[in-house]
Amino acid sequence: MSDALPSSFRDPGGFLFRKDGVLFRQVNPVYREAYDQLMGSGLYRALVDAGLLVAHEEVMPGRTAAPGAYKVFRPEPIPFISYPYEWCFSQLKQAALTTLRIQTTALRHGMTLKDASAYNIQFVGSRPILIDTLSFDPYREGEPWVAYRQFCQHFLASLALMAHTDVRLGQLLRIHLDGIPLDLAARLLPWRTRLNPALALHIHAHAASQRRFADEVPDASTARRRMGRSSFEGLLGSLRAAIRSLQWQPKGTPWAEYQSMTHYSPEAADQKRAQVGAFLDEARPALVWDLGANVGSYSRVASDRGILTIAFDNDPAAVERSYLEAKRRKETLLLPLVMDLTNPTPGIGWDLRERTSILERGPADLVMALALIHHLVISNNVPFDHLARFLARLGRWLIIEFVPKDDPQTQKLLAWRKDIFAEYSEQAFEEAFRRFYTIRRASVLPDTGRKLYLMERNASGS
Amino acid sequence: MNGISHLSGSLLSILKAAKTSHLAAYLDPGSGSFLLQLLVAGILGGLFAVRAFWGRLRGKITRKNDADQDEPDQDEPDSE
Repeated sequence: MSDALPSSFRDPGGFLFRKDGVLFRQVNPVYREAYDQLMGSGLYRALVDAGLLVAHEEVMPGRTAAPGAYKVFRPEPIPFISYPYEWCFSQLKQAALTTLRIQTTALRHGMTLKDASAYNIQFVGSRPILIDTLSFDPYREGEPWVAYRQFCQHFLASLALMAHTDVRLGQLLRIHLDGIPLDLAARLLPWRTRLNPALALHIHAHAASQRRFADEVPDASTARRRMGRSSFEGLLGSLRAAIRSLQWQPKGTPWAEYQSMTHYSPEAADQKRAQVGAFLDEARPALVWDLGANVGSYSRVASDRGILTIAFDNDPAAVERSYLEAKRRKETLLLPLVMDLTNPTPGIGWDLRERTSILERGPADLVMALALIHHLVISNNVPFDHLARFLARLGRWLIIEFVPKDDPQTQKLLAWRKDIFAEYSEQAFEEAFRRFYTIRRASVLPDTGRKLYLMERNASGS
Repeated sequence: MNGISHLSGSLLSILKAAKTSHLAAYLDPGSGSFLLQLLVAGILGGLFAVRAFWGRLRGKITRKNDADQDEPDQDEPDSE
């Protein structure tokens, strides 16, 4: 049984498909020349050896999804697919620099990137990697970069808005799937960015040029003007300098500072980590989703045990800190991502299937929800049973921390609002969750009044 | 004004020629994005020449032949 991936339909050069649960990529005859050059020029080997391109293994064409395939290969699996609107500032920046590095390497081998989509980059831990092996075309001297517009929309405009206007504008990528329109970016960026030569050229003048030539139709007069190799390299150098110069500091948001504000003593935090570790050792998951992970302190209890761990938080500053730590430690098993649990990533794009929802990218083996329940139940008015049902859809095992009503953090949430949560109690929590889970372990966290549970989903609870 | 129109006409004909040069190319480069690159190609080439000259000069000073290499940067993904 073969199924083409819903996201793989634009490029006539080939497409991805699954057969018996294994991912394959088909190369169509139209892409033969480019594929042969990629493999024969040394570019493929150079990129794979540098960890910039996903490696693949050619298989017998008998496994093709459609007749007439030139080649079929099996790419190395990516552990978890994520999207640019789930990345923090530095993840998007690293993805941009990786794209430019690949393009520079491609030029040295006589090839060029025919697209520069942020969706072609994925993270294996903290490392960005190109997953679209068919992104290369032979370079023909004199031609401009066909992917310049896409690079500016997907990377430069988003990063410039995050750095110069507001980091939350990275979420515009969720609305504009082919990157942020440059006229919109130009309107939202502060006026002073017109004085920055790189942004003046690649965003502001670029947007003006798109306006000026929008309705032009090519005429038949002879072309004399070309863009030489040195100009092409100048363009890439200018884009690289522009991306490198964009900075954003993860400061000031309540969550990025949460670790230092929490009322856990170092001893209590150590005990909580030890208890989480003991529960993980009992459940033995291969994939953990840590919801409300903050800067990833408890996510790393899992990833340091060799468990692939996706650490979700809705605060871009907390995710930024977690990513920078993952990059510093060269972590391969921790992937921090930005996601608002009250509005999780839906399926979007063509046919609502081009970019998948977070549920479709599951299930996890184990879900962690530490110091989270009071935020969802009290701040977002989610009833216990709704929360239990949602979490049970995400994975078989659950490590959840119950935060009682008299906890200082819960009291803070109630300080300025009417307490309409008469049912918020440990007993009501356990009753609601027992409808979906069996409680395997429960342990009071010393000095806090909080309780940590290990639960396993009931056979009928998913 | 006439000159600008002529230039635009020439550039647009390049766009037309480029449309047929890559059989598997599928991305619309965007007329404005395509033409902007051609309009500023001279400046970009100049930038590249300055950067290459500076790299060679620095290479001589530091006795390292890194003129054709990217400038290393802690932001940069690990080098090849």
